[in-house]
Amino acid sequence: MSAPNHGFLAGAADIARRLLRDRAAMVGFTLILLLVLAAIFAPWLATHPNDVYEIHTARRLTPPGAEHWMGTDRMGADIYSRLLFGARITILIAVIAVGTAVLVGVPIGLVAGYYRNWFSDLLMRLSDIFLAVPQIVLAIAIAQTLGPSIENVILALSATYWPFWARLVYAETRSIKNETFVEAAIALGASAPRVMILHILPNIASAIIVRTSIGMGATILTAAALGFLGLGAPPPTPEWGRTIAESREYLPEAWWYALAPGIAIFLVVMGFNLLGDGLRDILDPRIRRGGRGP
Amino acid sequence: MKRLELILSRLLWLVPTLIGLGVITFAISHVIPTDPVAILAGENATAEQIAALRTQLGFDRPLPVQLLAYFQDLLRGDMGVSLFSQQPIAEELATRLPATLELTFAAVLLASVLGIPLGVVSALRRNSAIDHALRIVTVSGLAIPSFWLAIQLQYLFAMQIGVAPLNGRIDGFGPEPVTGLMLLDSLLQWDWESFWGALRHIALPAITLALPAAATIARFTRAGVLEVVTSNYVLYERAMGLPGALVTWKYVLRNALISTVTQIGLIFGVLLSGAVVVEAVFDWPGLGAFAVISIIQSDHRAVMGFTLWAGAIFVIVNLIVDVLHTLIDPRSTR
Amino acid sequence: MSGLLLEVDRLTLGFRTERGLARILDGASLRIAPGEVMGLVGESGCGKTTLARAILGVLPAGGAQVDGGRISFRGRDLLREDPATLARDLRGRAITFIPQDPFSSFNPVFTIGEQLMDLMKWKSPRRQGEGRWPTLLQPYPRARRKADREAVLEMLAAVQLPNPAAILQKYPHEVSGGQRQRLMIAMALLPEPDLVIADEPTTALDVTIQAQILGVIRRLATERRVAVLLTTHDLGSAWEICDAVTVMYAGQDVESAPIDRFFAAPAHPYTTRLLESLPREGADVAGIPGEVPSPLAQPPGCRFYPRCDRATEACRATRPEETLLAEGHRLRCYHPRLPA
Repeated sequence: MSAPNHGFLAGAADIARRLLRDRAAMVGFTLILLLVLAAIFAPWLATHPNDVYEIHTARRLTPPGAEHWMGTDRMGADIYSRLLFGARITILIAVIAVGTAVLVGVPIGLVAGYYRNWFSDLLMRLSDIFLAVPQIVLAIAIAQTLGPSIENVILALSATYWPFWARLVYAETRSIKNETFVEAAIALGASAPRVMILHILPNIASAIIVRTSIGMGATILTAAALGFLGLGAPPPTPEWGRTIAESREYLPEAWWYALAPGIAIFLVVMGFNLLGDGLRDILDPRIRRGGRGP
Repeated sequence: MKRLELILSRLLWLVPTLIGLGVITFAISHVIPTDPVAILAGENATAEQIAALRTQLGFDRPLPVQLLAYFQDLLRGDMGVSLFSQQPIAEELATRLPATLELTFAAVLLASVLGIPLGVVSALRRNSAIDHALRIVTVSGLAIPSFWLAIQLQYLFAMQIGVAPLNGRIDGFGPEPVTGLMLLDSLLQWDWESFWGALRHIALPAITLALPAAATIARFTRAGVLEVVTSNYVLYERAMGLPGALVTWKYVLRNALISTVTQIGLIFGVLLSGAVVVEAVFDWPGLGAFAVISIIQSDHRAVMGFTLWAGAIFVIVNLIVDVLHTLIDPRSTR
Repeated sequence: MSGLLLEVDRLTLGFRTERGLARILDGASLRIAPGEVMGLVGESGCGKTTLARAILGVLPAGGAQVDGGRISFRGRDLLREDPATLARDLRGRAITFIPQDPFSSFNPVFTIGEQLMDLMKWKSPRRQGEGRWPTLLQPYPRARRKADREAVLEMLAAVQLPNPAAILQKYPHEVSGGQRQRLMIAMALLPEPDLVIADEPTTALDVTIQAQILGVIRRLATERRVAVLLTTHDLGSAWEICDAVTVMYAGQDVESAPIDRFFAAPAHPYTTRLLESLPREGADVAGIPGEVPSPLAQPPGCRFYPRCDRATEACRATRPEETLLAEGHRLRCYHPRLPA
């Protein structure tokens, strides 16, 4: 198995085995798994599954107790139940936004890095301009123009995130294109798409995977911030960032209001960061975290 | 002089970046398939009212003409009038800039004071309990949503313990503005009361912003130190019996900080992103809070003005970082 | 020990690796008299750099494991005394270092002058007890600073560096490799040491400069009566400047002799093979068949027996004891080549 020329499946098995030995990465993986399970089984795990839409003014702002484990909000809804349904929104936004950004940015970076003509220069200058501003600033501008909704948050996030991927893949492609095996493939007459997909892409896949994990965490944080600013889904959507924003009016009395959603965001982001760190150690030894072995 | 060349080329790069940002903000407000005029006119406007407003704002002209007009306005420093304050947006942003700068500087300072020693200790005691504990702290620091942390700090220190004010920048008028940075101004005028007041106000927002930045700095410093301590020159310095503290805090740290400094641009990005929401929570009268107010009021031009300013600040900060880099690393001017 | 400056006695140490303990040194011995220029000769990987580092006290922390033996310098035990005390009293003072690679051994972000003056601040021979300050606040008395600076300029001239005052203003990357190594020599001699450890000081340099650098080391060592331990894989360098030579093979010393006797009457089969492998006029270069054993699986007995044409059962079983062939000529071999 330690032979250098293992196939993709054997490679994946090897990576999985090494991940299993990395305690921090396993903690991260567990946190992500919990998020996914919470999202899938929200209707069954929730104690008050209908509270996402129903209003119970009589029991508004109840502190945590046996009936409401994490208390209730200003509408009298069970925060624990809303938290579970919020996990669905979190996953939905992160997966679609990051996925779109990767699907747009990677081909652009690949083609620009492979051909290196005026068009690729133009593309890279364009992504440089996007990268000249913190992502959230442009995302705010776009989301504000489009109006508050989940779709618009996703659009704003992916529209401001693809340049990062284009830049990354562009740089990687340029360095790999000079490797002997790629030059050999070109010399042997392999077509450009074939070289890009069969020779270059597999070699930059690990860099993409590592940054996808860390990017998921960052995107969840940005999405929550947009929600907090009122640019996310309109109420009564149980979005975590918005819940935290709502809670401000009820402090210091309702101390529990923002506690659970905040900790939930923290744990999920931490999960993706830990997993990303672990993957980086295994897949991308050039930028090792440093710290194991002599 | 290489350094001058570098600064000039960076300043030149500022121009296309700003033009590009202008085009992007223009595209966001004019090309995106929603009707900004309809939003501006309000939900109850009639079709005629919308059409009249469209002509009045010039939205009926061809796009290139609109783009040109947009840039003409920008060049004159005219970004329109803020719906919130009825002040010209450019003026509003200019008066708010010092508050944001003061907050970010305070946060960078705090983050460096926390992050650099943590990174060094973590690297020197690599794989020890301290290193593992610090790793957890730094990973956590990057995962905490800053707006949530801001609220929790407000709850704990302002509402429950009462050691810090809930929000704002100062009680009363504060010191006579010289630089616009209140901590500096009050020191310049020996106004201790204002200094103490400003310090109490800035403490919580600065801490909120500094935590993720400190985590980033600690990570980069740790990686830098780990790379440097195995170098031949550190081996030489140790073999020659130079005191450990001298080797660590002078010889190793300066080299390790090169990589940290080049990442300050990134750190500043983290801070600026955080500032938007943190300023809103603490009612800090800076650019971020203005952006949030404008979002809530659907003040589209103000949001675009903020975007342009944030981009310009960010590019200038990166220019300063590059210059700093040449100062700290003599090899880079080769 | 009578009259010896440095004695390494049967030093055994290894590095913990993923595949077990790698015994880099296994009973290596070395003796240096005051003022003697000793060449430590061996192929790369034989442990000579590790031995030099053990004397300098800079073995990798956490990875190295000393299993036996002793290093004594003027009666002080370098392995067991408190490292901090040794660093303060001996390192950079009585024992100094000329590193292998002058390109990477200067700190790149400080001027040469700053690095030299920092060294002098802490290691100048004119330094006497200056009170207990926290390291970073330690003052540098003005009078001593002035005297030290003069000594620095004098020494830079002595190692034949042009325009010493200007060089102090420069950064390491602004001077050539040969000049950097001259600076390293200057830094090694400025504290007026008794012993300089020069670890392959010329391998990183151009061939044309190598002889000059060796010449400078030899001349200054003689003038100032400093002992030098010169590790090298090049017998030619040893021949040019050494008073005596110790040969190492796979972590052990095999033979040591004064320079004339070493080249005239080598006795160990490995030494003779090594001398035969030197390129010579009118003869083909003779390599040594076989490979150096892996430090993870060292053969017992004489390390050289798998490659030795004289090996017998005795060589396979136990390492030969040290025998004295002549004044200063020590050997570990059961079947030496003795002059007829």
